[in-house]
Amino acid sequence: MDLRILEKNENSMRFVVTGISTPLANTLRRIILAEVPCMAIDDVIMIENSSVLHDEILALRLGLIPLKTDLDGYNLPEECTCNSELGCNLCRVVLTLDVEAVDETRTVYSEDLVSEDPNIVPVSSKIPIVKLAPGQKVRLEAYAKLGRGVAHAKWQPVSACAYRYVPTVEIDKDVCDNCGDCVDVCPVGVLEKTEDGVKVVNEFECTLCEDCVDACKKNPAAIKVSGNREAFVFYIESTGALPVERIITEALEIYKSKFKEFANQIAVIRNGSEKTD
Amino acid sequence: MIGDKWEEFAKRVKAGEDAGKVLDDLGVKRYCCRRMLLSHVEIIDEIVRFYEKGTMEKEDVM
Repeated sequence: MDLRILEKNENSMRFVVTGISTPLANTLRRIILAEVPCMAIDDVIMIENSSVLHDEILALRLGLIPLKTDLDGYNLPEECTCNSELGCNLCRVVLTLDVEAVDETRTVYSEDLVSEDPNIVPVSSKIPIVKLAPGQKVRLEAYAKLGRGVAHAKWQPVSACAYRYVPTVEIDKDVCDNCGDCVDVCPVGVLEKTEDGVKVVNEFECTLCEDCVDACKKNPAAIKVSGNREAFVFYIESTGALPVERIITEALEIYKSKFKEFANQIAVIRNGSEKTD
Repeated sequence: MIGDKWEEFAKRVKAGEDAGKVLDDLGVKRYCCRRMLLSHVEIIDEIVRFYEKGTMEKEDVM
C-alpha cells in the first residue's frame, strides 16, 4: 500500500492511496461519515426565549454549529460511567447563551455562546443564530456531547468525504485524426489539441465521465478512459471539529476495534459449537 | 462550512457584486454549497420587522 498526499489545507486533504480494494476504501469513507465522534450541542434547556424562532428551531440551529472537539478529554455519553441523563463533567460541556437586544435589532452569533471548557467552542465565531428585535431576549443552557454521525448529521466531523478511482486516459495515435471534438467536450480540461495530435495534459483531473469517448467519431473510439480499481483519490474536508489527520487515524482505530469484535464473535460461536458437538 | 459566510455574501451581493464571483471569492466551490447561499431567503428579517415596529409604537404612546 502506498499513500501520497496531493494537497493539504487547514481543513481539507486530498490524497492517493494505492493498493487497497474498493470495499476497504468505502469502509474508510463510511466510518468517517457515520462512526468518528465529534462534539455537538444536544440537549438545550430554555430559560427564556422571546425571539421570533420557536424553542425547537433555535435548538436545532444550535445543534448544527460545529464545535471544536477534544476527543481524548471526553467520553461518549453511552460509554460514560455516570449514567445520568444530562451527563457529567466527563461526557458533556455546558454552553450558555444570554443575550438581550436593548436599543436596536441585533444578531446573535455563535461567539455569544459561553463555554465552560475553552477547548470546546464553536469552530467559527460568526455563525448567525437568531435576530432579536429590541426588548427580545434569549437565555438558555446548551449541553454539548460527543456523538456519532449515525445518530444525526450534526455529529459528522466532515463536510465532505469522497473517493474516486485514479483515472487513466489513453489515446490511440493511429486512429485519432486530431479533430479536437474530445478536447472541446471535456468539462475539466484533461486534453489539449496540439500539432502532433491530441495530448493528455491533465490526466489526474479526469472524472471518468466518458464524454470524450462519446464525442469521438471513430468506431471504436480513439480515446480510452479507465479507472484504476486499486488506486483511490480521497478528498476529506473537515468541518473544523477535528484535524483531518485525526479523523483518519480515529476511523482506522474504529475499524480495527470493529474487526477485533468480529473476530471475538466468531471465536465465541466456534467455542460454542465445539461444546455442543 | 458555509454558516459564517451568509452575511458577507448577502452584503456584497446587495452592494451590486456578481453573486457567482462573491461565491468564488469566499471559496464556496461545490454547487450544493453555492445553491444554499444563492437560494436562501432571510425570512427572519420580514418577521422581526413587526416586532421592531411594535416597540416603536409603544414608545410613541408613552
